[in-house]
Amino acid sequence: MHVLIVEDDSPLAASIATAMQARGWRADVSDRGEPVPASLLQDAYDALVLDIGLPGIDGLETLRRVREQGSLLPVLMLTARDEIDDRVRGLECGADDYLVKPFAIRELLARLSALVRRQDQRRSETLILSALRFDAAARRAHVNEQPITLSARECIVLQYLMLKTSHIVTRDQLAGLVPGWAAGTSENALELLISRLRAKIEPGGVRLRTVRGLGYLLEPAVPE
Amino acid sequence: MRRSLRPSLRRDLLLWLLLPLLLLVPLTAALIYGLALRPALDGLDRALTDTAVALAQIVDVKDGQATLPLSEQTARALQADLVDETLFAVGDSTGRLLGGNAALLTLSTSLQAGQWRFFDSVLDGKPVRVAAHAIHCGSVPSQVCSILVAETLGKHHAAQRAVLLASLLGAVALALPMALMAMVAVSRGMRPLRLAATELASRTPSQLEAIDTRAVPHEVVTFVDALNDLFGRLRDVAAAQRAFVADAAHQLRTPLAVLRVEAAQALDSPHPPALRPTLERLHSAAERGARLAQQLLLLARAEATAIDPTQPRQLVDLSQLVTEAADRWLQPSIEADQDLGFELAPAWVEGNPLLLAELLGNLIHNAIEHAGAKSRITIRTGMQNDNAQLIVEDDGCGIAADEQASVWQRFRRARSAKGTGSGLGLAIVKDIAQLHGASATLATGEDGHGLHVRVSFPASSAAAPANE
Repeated sequence: MHVLIVEDDSPLAASIATAMQARGWRADVSDRGEPVPASLLQDAYDALVLDIGLPGIDGLETLRRVREQGSLLPVLMLTARDEIDDRVRGLECGADDYLVKPFAIRELLARLSALVRRQDQRRSETLILSALRFDAAARRAHVNEQPITLSARECIVLQYLMLKTSHIVTRDQLAGLVPGWAAGTSENALELLISRLRAKIEPGGVRLRTVRGLGYLLEPAVPE
Repeated sequence: MRRSLRPSLRRDLLLWLLLPLLLLVPLTAALIYGLALRPALDGLDRALTDTAVALAQIVDVKDGQATLPLSEQTARALQADLVDETLFAVGDSTGRLLGGNAALLTLSTSLQAGQWRFFDSVLDGKPVRVAAHAIHCGSVPSQVCSILVAETLGKHHAAQRAVLLASLLGAVALALPMALMAMVAVSRGMRPLRLAATELASRTPSQLEAIDTRAVPHEVVTFVDALNDLFGRLRDVAAAQRAFVADAAHQLRTPLAVLRVEAAQALDSPHPPALRPTLERLHSAAERGARLAQQLLLLARAEATAIDPTQPRQLVDLSQLVTEAADRWLQPSIEADQDLGFELAPAWVEGNPLLLAELLGNLIHNAIEHAGAKSRITIRTGMQNDNAQLIVEDDGCGIAADEQASVWQRFRRARSAKGTGSGLGLAIVKDIAQLHGASATLATGEDGHGLHVRVSFPASSAAAPANE
């Protein structure tokens, strides 16, 4: 993975770069926002880590210029100022995610991986989590390369859970997926569907958790 | 005692209005008495002249000698009076008594013919009012007869009493409404001050907007202007504090991020086993420092928000806030081997979503940190009557009843607290709750163990969106 870090505080930039390199990623550092759009055209980056407080044009303006040239690159913003939080929080600025300093490096790397994976899946139409693979176009799932049979509803639910890997999906969200479900589906029916699905996919190194009172969460059985 | 020493506008005004009034009542009464008595007495004098004129008609001149041919009946008729004793005397120019009372005639003074005189005197030891009159009685102009009519003072005294009573009643009837009006006027005049004081007293520390001077009386404007000036300066201080917090945040957060990243990195990199305890302590201190800085900045921000009325407020659904935050807290609770669950119903409050999210985060963090492994943590939202509720409860080790009040203080931690918390979490919860007019309470769980934290928000003035 190849990441561009835009951060004017050189110790922090170096720290993040070192942590990425320790994972086997490639990391480049820029301390200003102005050259970023050109850099993205030159090199094939997988993701951009962008600090908001930069000398010259700030992170938000840099992001605007990046998006202006048509780039869909996953962008994770770093912020230290509460005032800007509110704009970034809604991700209205075109960023995909944000972290408030001081963050834990584990979290930064995990979020970045998730962003890149989501981007890849958007392109390939195939969702992969551990040994579970879901082909969205064909509506077929494989566990350890063995096809598994899924009902139409299970397909819809699994696809949604995989798109939101490691995030809680609420019961309301699931109930809203299929027309006619929201009103008619009892909680028991959904619970039953989930437990059948759980039995089918958990051999593939994934865990389908029940979040009591709220919903469900699909994650790798072993943390990445 | 001390109260009476304090200067009082109201007392001064009343004193200066009522004291002169008190002096004016007898003065006015005296003036009215003096003015009204004279005509009354003049009337009585005129009654005496009537008798004298009647007598003058009776005086006759025969052979150059004046006589008074007065029958007994006429004399009685002239002296008839219900109240007073009336006497008369008629004498000629030589002082000879023509008729009537001899003693009275001795009081006669020399008058020109046609002249009148009225005077007070004493007759037979009784005070009397006397009318003296002189008429021609003879062929020679020098022949002048004196007619005197005297009357005891019964009617005089009655008239004096009546006039005195009338003037006193008049003065009091004037003074009483004036005193009442003075009191009402002072009270009314003081009302704008009282209203302004009530308005100021009911303000929260965050209400620093200027007082509207349009309704303030002219005389009080300078005072209110000074207050508004003070409010303005306080607002500036709040703004300066916010700017400082923002700068401090920026300056502090980046080096702390480096420290956190490097400490974690060092721990993950190959290192001599002897270094491990050091690296672990470094890592834990970095984590603690980062959280402490975050909390201190948040506290400062909450306080700056509290005194800055320009902070926007919006309608927030607590259940939505919890749903959004759930992702962040699920993983730590799983790592702590806890069962984190939710019972969410819509609960609308008016407030600052950023600060409310921090309040929630602190409560959940506390529960995960202190409830212990195998515990069950449940987050509830909903309405109770008109009040939005946020409840975080666990069945962990709880907080002793005698400590439940003190843990809200800054840097205060429960004796049972594990880990390395700063003791700021609940203080932040309390500050943010207060900022939203909410009450935060802490209790032991239902079955005698664990902790039950409830934040109850005041009824929102704005209605919840209808389609939610």
